[in-house]
Amino acid sequence: MTELERFEQLMAIHGSDIDRWPTDEQLPARQLLSESVAAQSLHNDQQTLDTMLDAIPVPPMAAMQRRIVRNLAAATRSSLLDRVLEWIVPRGGNVSSWAWRPALVACLPLMCGIYMANFYSFGIESTENSWQEELYLISMNDYAEISE
Amino acid sequence: MNDDEALMLAIQGGDSKAYESAVRQHIKALSHYAYRMLGNSKDTEDITQEALLRLWTHANSWRADKASVSTWLHRITHNLCIDYLRKDKSKMTGELNDELESQDRPANVPEQDERLESLKNALELLPERQRSAIILSHYQGFSNKEIAQVMDISVDALESILARARRGLRAQLSDLQAS
Repeated sequence: MTELERFEQLMAIHGSDIDRWPTDEQLPARQLLSESVAAQSLHNDQQTLDTMLDAIPVPPMAAMQRRIVRNLAAATRSSLLDRVLEWIVPRGGNVSSWAWRPALVACLPLMCGIYMANFYSFGIESTENSWQEELYLISMNDYAEISE
Repeated sequence: MNDDEALMLAIQGGDSKAYESAVRQHIKALSHYAYRMLGNSKDTEDITQEALLRLWTHANSWRADKASVSTWLHRITHNLCIDYLRKDKSKMTGELNDELESQDRPANVPEQDERLESLKNALELLPERQRSAIILSHYQGFSNKEIAQVMDISVDALESILARARRGLRAQLSDLQAS
């Protein structure tokens, strides 16, 4: 491969900006460019192409970008359930948080039971009453045996 | 820990503020890339939104040692664009000069010269991989190694694709100048 062919190949790969070429290729390329009319012609063609590519516009997209940001913010806003699930099974975090949080959640019904039992008597009004009722029942029992 | 890692760690932990910051940081580059690949605003919006949503839903699949966040997001966008172009070519919403929404329409669009229009068409008609390689190299400013990561090909294969694309466009331009 001649120097000019090598130059053309590198330009086809990297474009006209020699600063973007591999470092060890830059110096020989600049040297060839200063000496060879054919290299200069090739470089001019590529520069024209690059300049024209630069001139191809992208339409303004500010409104579209704002809309996307808004939609994404809504899509990632967590519901209460999401936040509870996220707390129970975190997306990131360490291994311990994966282990102890489900265990803690499993204990929740037990804790609720203890809490509720502390507040509600479930029909047992007091210990004193229950003893009185028991004595009454015993006395009824004795009376029944005597009457027989 | 670099900025990318800190940001992605926060997003992986469910930090929506970090996510919003990352969206704002990358949305312009991604939407421009998608637009240059697809050529119309409607599909660009859908693809850009989907790519950025995956930044949230697939944050755990990002690996710091594999690629920067920008490269990773461009890869997602690239794959979405290629899938879209292959599957839904018949449903393409419009061509490169589709009508923009009033909010995004510039007040004065200068008349573009014929050569520029022809080059734009030539770029649009390039095979997907050549178009993608040129856009990532020329407009997005990625190195060849990064482009190879985005396109999931070897650097040698990429350089061959880039050379074909540039030679093709140069030939088109020469024809235009001759005519």
